[in-house]
Amino acid sequence: MNKRARTALTAGIIAAAWGLTALAARADETCLSPYTAALIKGQEAYLHVWTLGEKGLGDESDKLVTIGADPKSASYGKVISSVSVGGRGEAHHMGFTDDRKYLWAGRLDDSKIFVFDVGIGPAHPKLINTITDLPEKTGYIGPHTFYAIPGRMVIGTLSNNKTRDGVTGLAVYSNKGEFLSAHPIPAENGGDGYGYDIAINPKKNVFLTSSFTGWNNYMMDLGKLIQDAEAMKHFGNSMVLWNLKSMQPEKIFSVPGAPLEIRWSLKEGDDWAITASALTSKLWLVSHGANNEWQAKEVGTIGDPAKIPLPVDISISADAKTLWVNTFMDGTTHLFDISDPTKPVQIYEKVTGKQVNMISQSWDGKRVYITSSLLANWDKKGADNEQVLRAYDWDGKDLNLKFEVDFIKEKLGRPHHMKFSGPTEKASLDIPGRAASR
Amino acid sequence: MRERARLLGALCTGFIALAGLVEASLPVAAQTGAGLALPAPGSYRLDHIQRVPFGIVLEGNRFPHTLSRYTAGAITLLTFFYSYCADPNGCPLAWEAFEQARERIIGRPDLRGKVRLVFLSLDPAHDTPDVLKNFARHYEPDAAIVPWHFLTTYSYLFLNPVLRDMGEEISIDQQASSTGGLVVNHLLKVFLIDKQGWVREIYSNQSLDPAAILGDIETLSLEAGKVDHH
Repeated sequence: MNKRARTALTAGIIAAAWGLTALAARADETCLSPYTAALIKGQEAYLHVWTLGEKGLGDESDKLVTIGADPKSASYGKVISSVSVGGRGEAHHMGFTDDRKYLWAGRLDDSKIFVFDVGIGPAHPKLINTITDLPEKTGYIGPHTFYAIPGRMVIGTLSNNKTRDGVTGLAVYSNKGEFLSAHPIPAENGGDGYGYDIAINPKKNVFLTSSFTGWNNYMMDLGKLIQDAEAMKHFGNSMVLWNLKSMQPEKIFSVPGAPLEIRWSLKEGDDWAITASALTSKLWLVSHGANNEWQAKEVGTIGDPAKIPLPVDISISADAKTLWVNTFMDGTTHLFDISDPTKPVQIYEKVTGKQVNMISQSWDGKRVYITSSLLANWDKKGADNEQVLRAYDWDGKDLNLKFEVDFIKEKLGRPHHMKFSGPTEKASLDIPGRAASR
Repeated sequence: MRERARLLGALCTGFIALAGLVEASLPVAAQTGAGLALPAPGSYRLDHIQRVPFGIVLEGNRFPHTLSRYTAGAITLLTFFYSYCADPNGCPLAWEAFEQARERIIGRPDLRGKVRLVFLSLDPAHDTPDVLKNFARHYEPDAAIVPWHFLTTYSYLFLNPVLRDMGEEISIDQQASSTGGLVVNHLLKVFLIDKQGWVREIYSNQSLDPAAILGDIETLSLEAGKVDHH
């Protein structure tokens, strides 16, 4: 069939459609894998919070807490459900599968990965699988980042089961939870082998990884760690540009001071990503210049680096014009204008807690959520050990507190990573009578 | 029957009127552009993601065949579709990618007869074997070089286990269906399957790049050649 006929056939198929609207655009929330389906462009209905259990608090177990996020709902700002997974293993990050029906949640200490069904009833997630073979299959421990690709999950890890330092790699699992392959992060030719975040740009056949530290450090008391000069040498100082198709490293960038979360610009035509280095308190831009060479460049400063504010999570707006940055030590939420990503400018800041870590924004940027916990042994002590989720509205000038959930008062634990779910609106095709009616 | 007639009528009358429009509005497949070049075929490894599950399918008539008849013994590019799908990021995009892959395979003597294309319907109630015959007929002249099979099932009872196993869950858009028709919400996934029936790559609308697909097909072909040689 020639091209004209083929085009005509395709046209005919479309003409045959019964005046139906297309499925909503399948894009990406601001910090999700670009392969993630069912973007929530409107009001999120639920907020899932992966929470570290705390000894002497409630059932003491790590748990997935789900909170109502729709102001029109009676459950707004309230804990709707809590699914305890048993034990405490340093609950940390989560990631949706590509179809957004399942949420994978990892623990950095015992390397267990919990898979929750959030597709059928997001208000009440169900634990359906626990994956325990990551160390055995790969030698890596500390599953951190869960990044969906079609039918699979790429897992960025933090450490290894031999030296427990930061030398580690990536693991690929099928959505069914079966191990597929392991990919070491380069430790030579300028690489340190350390890992942290993953961020894919499918249009450019590339992905980036960043680097944090190993089990020896992230499980150590922060006060003790800072005093340990030798331990402080063991933080990542690199980012790696990978060939997505071959899963092979292509270029290593020197990025001192533990570059953490990586966010690609979602603006059509942009080909740059931004990250923040935790120890040096800098913003770094990864882009390709006029010579078509990918490069990493320091482009900005967050707070006063001499005071080690410790930038942790960042969140980019859908239009790539602004970037939220949380600094843990001073409990401050910063907003940068990154409309020129080579020259970020801070345009707003507010103290949002005694310690703040993760930050997530809605697609329209009107709602911003923060949580308090960094790592169980790195959180502040005593009265400064505030453990909260705070929900704000952003009116373009100020963050206005809408609700707050005190995770200590609720006997839940330490809130860390957040993900959104929408309401369930779709019906299964298993409709009795449909087949019979035809 | 009335719906079927409507479909076939539209197939005929819609050709010329919409051809130019569709050509212009089809999403452009992923390009490497200023990004990294695709690796040379055979220089990288594709994971064994999962086996294609057992299933019973229909082609041309209501005689049952096992799904493996269409997913083993040759390199297979398979996707789920429904014949009236209008989502420009869905079935038409897959259709375009399959067309481009098909044309490239026809131009490659070393791949002729080694690759098959498979569309499996998500709506067995509408897409009966008779309806799908009209699609298959267009590709019959080149079937010896690269066959394109349009499959369906008896009902959802037969289809759903296959969908669930392959991670292709579907749902109805309630608002659209209230207007009198159906939109079968599904995540576009194209499965590349090796001769042994293993899924080796899955493409989405973010990664449906004909050059990447052909490179992966060549990689599987080279891999199969090594196995056959040994």
